Amino acid sequence: MSIILINKKDVKEIDFVENTKIEDILKNEEIPIETVVIKQNGETVTEDEIVNDNDEIEIIKVIYGG
Amino acid sequence: MTDNVCTQCGYEHTVIHRKYNGQRLCSSCFKKSIEAKVLKTIKKQKLVTKGDKVLVGLSGGKDSVALLKILNILKEKRIIELEAVTIDEGIAGYREEGVRIAVDVANELNVKHHIVSLNDRYNFTIDKIMKLEEKEEHPQNACTYCGVFRRQIFNQTAREVGATKLATGHNLDDETQSILMNYLEGNVNNMVRIGYKTEARDKRFTPKIKPLREIPEKEIGLYVLESGFEVHFDGCPYAHESFRMEIGDFLRKTTLQHPTIMYSTLNGFEKIKPSIKRDYMKNNTEKPNKTCIKCGEPSSQDICKSCSFIEKIHERLDMEE
Repeated sequence: MSIILINKKDVKEIDFVENTKIEDILKNEEIPIETVVIKQNGETVTEDEIVNDNDEIEIIKVIYGG
Repeated sequence: MTDNVCTQCGYEHTVIHRKYNGQRLCSSCFKKSIEAKVLKTIKKQKLVTKGDKVLVGLSGGKDSVALLKILNILKEKRIIELEAVTIDEGIAGYREEGVRIAVDVANELNVKHHIVSLNDRYNFTIDKIMKLEEKEEHPQNACTYCGVFRRQIFNQTAREVGATKLATGHNLDDETQSILMNYLEGNVNNMVRIGYKTEARDKRFTPKIKPLREIPEKEIGLYVLESGFEVHFDGCPYAHESFRMEIGDFLRKTTLQHPTIMYSTLNGFEKIKPSIKRDYMKNNTEKPNKTCIKCGEPSSQDICKSCSFIEKIHERLDMEE
C-alpha cells in the first residue's frame, strides 16, 4: 500500500503498513507536526487520521522555523 | 471512529485536536471558536472601545489576514472603524505576493487600505540596503533595518489616518517567545512592556493592541485556510537563524509533550507582571521623551533611530554612484 505525499514542490510515493496514522508518516519524514496543516485527499484532517491506499496527503507549512 | 467527531456539534469530520483542552472540532466550530476567543480577549482586556478607529498592520501573511477578518466582525457591527496598512519593504520575489494578497483581502472585506513603500518614502529598499551590507565585514541583518522603518511607518500612518488603535497579528507563539527570550536575556525593561496593549512611553504614539495573543500560531494558519483565504505562507528570504527562532523551536517541541506550556507561560507572566513593574520601575526612571530634530517623531535621542539609519544609508548609496 502506498500514498502520495505532497510537500510543496516535493512529491513522493511512500509505502506504508496497515493502521498507519498521518502522524507516523510525518515522523518518518521528519516533518514537524507542530508547524503544518494536513490535507488528506483535499480535506483538512488531524494527524490522528489513518491513511488509506492511494491517498494523497498534502502538507501545508504554516509556521517557519524548526 | 469517535476520534473524528466534533466535541461541540457531533459532526463526523474534525480538523483539529486541541491537546491543551481535549477538544476535537469540525471546521465550522473551529472557526467560530477562534472568532469567539479573539472577541472575548478584546472585551476582557478592553482592547477597543466603541468608536475606535483601528489600523491593522496587514502584511498578507496568515496572522494579519486572520486579524483583519475578525476585526471586520466589529466593523460590521459598527462598533469600530477599520483600516489597514501594508508596508512594501522592497524585497523582490517575496513582498509582491504579500502586497497582492493584502490588496485582495482588504478589497474582499471592504476595508480601506493604505500601501506605503520604503522606496517612495525613503528612496531605497531593503534589497538595496542588503546589497550594501554584503560588502561589509560584519553585515547587519535585514531585520535590524526593517523593524525600525516599519515601526516608524506604522506610527506615522496611524497618526495620518487618525487611528486610535494600531492592531498587530502577534499570536501566542510570538508572545511566549518574547517572554522567554527576555527572561533568559535578563531584559526586564523589555519584558514589562509585553502585553495585550503596548503601553507607549510617549503619548504621541498610537496605542498598539494584540487581539490574537491567546491563539496558537498553528491555529491561525488553520483558521485562514479553513476560511478560504489565499495566504502568503512563505518565509522572508532575509530571515536568519535567530535566538527567537531557537526559542520558538524549543517551545513548539516542548508543547508536543506538554500541551499547555505556552498558555501557562503567558498566564504566569501576566500574574507576575504587575509586581515586576511596580518594584522594577521604582528604581528605573525611563528615558526622557524627546523629539527627533529631523522627522519630528518621538525619540529618546535627538535624532531617532530611523533617521540616523536613513542618513547613513543615503551616504553609502551616494558613495556607490
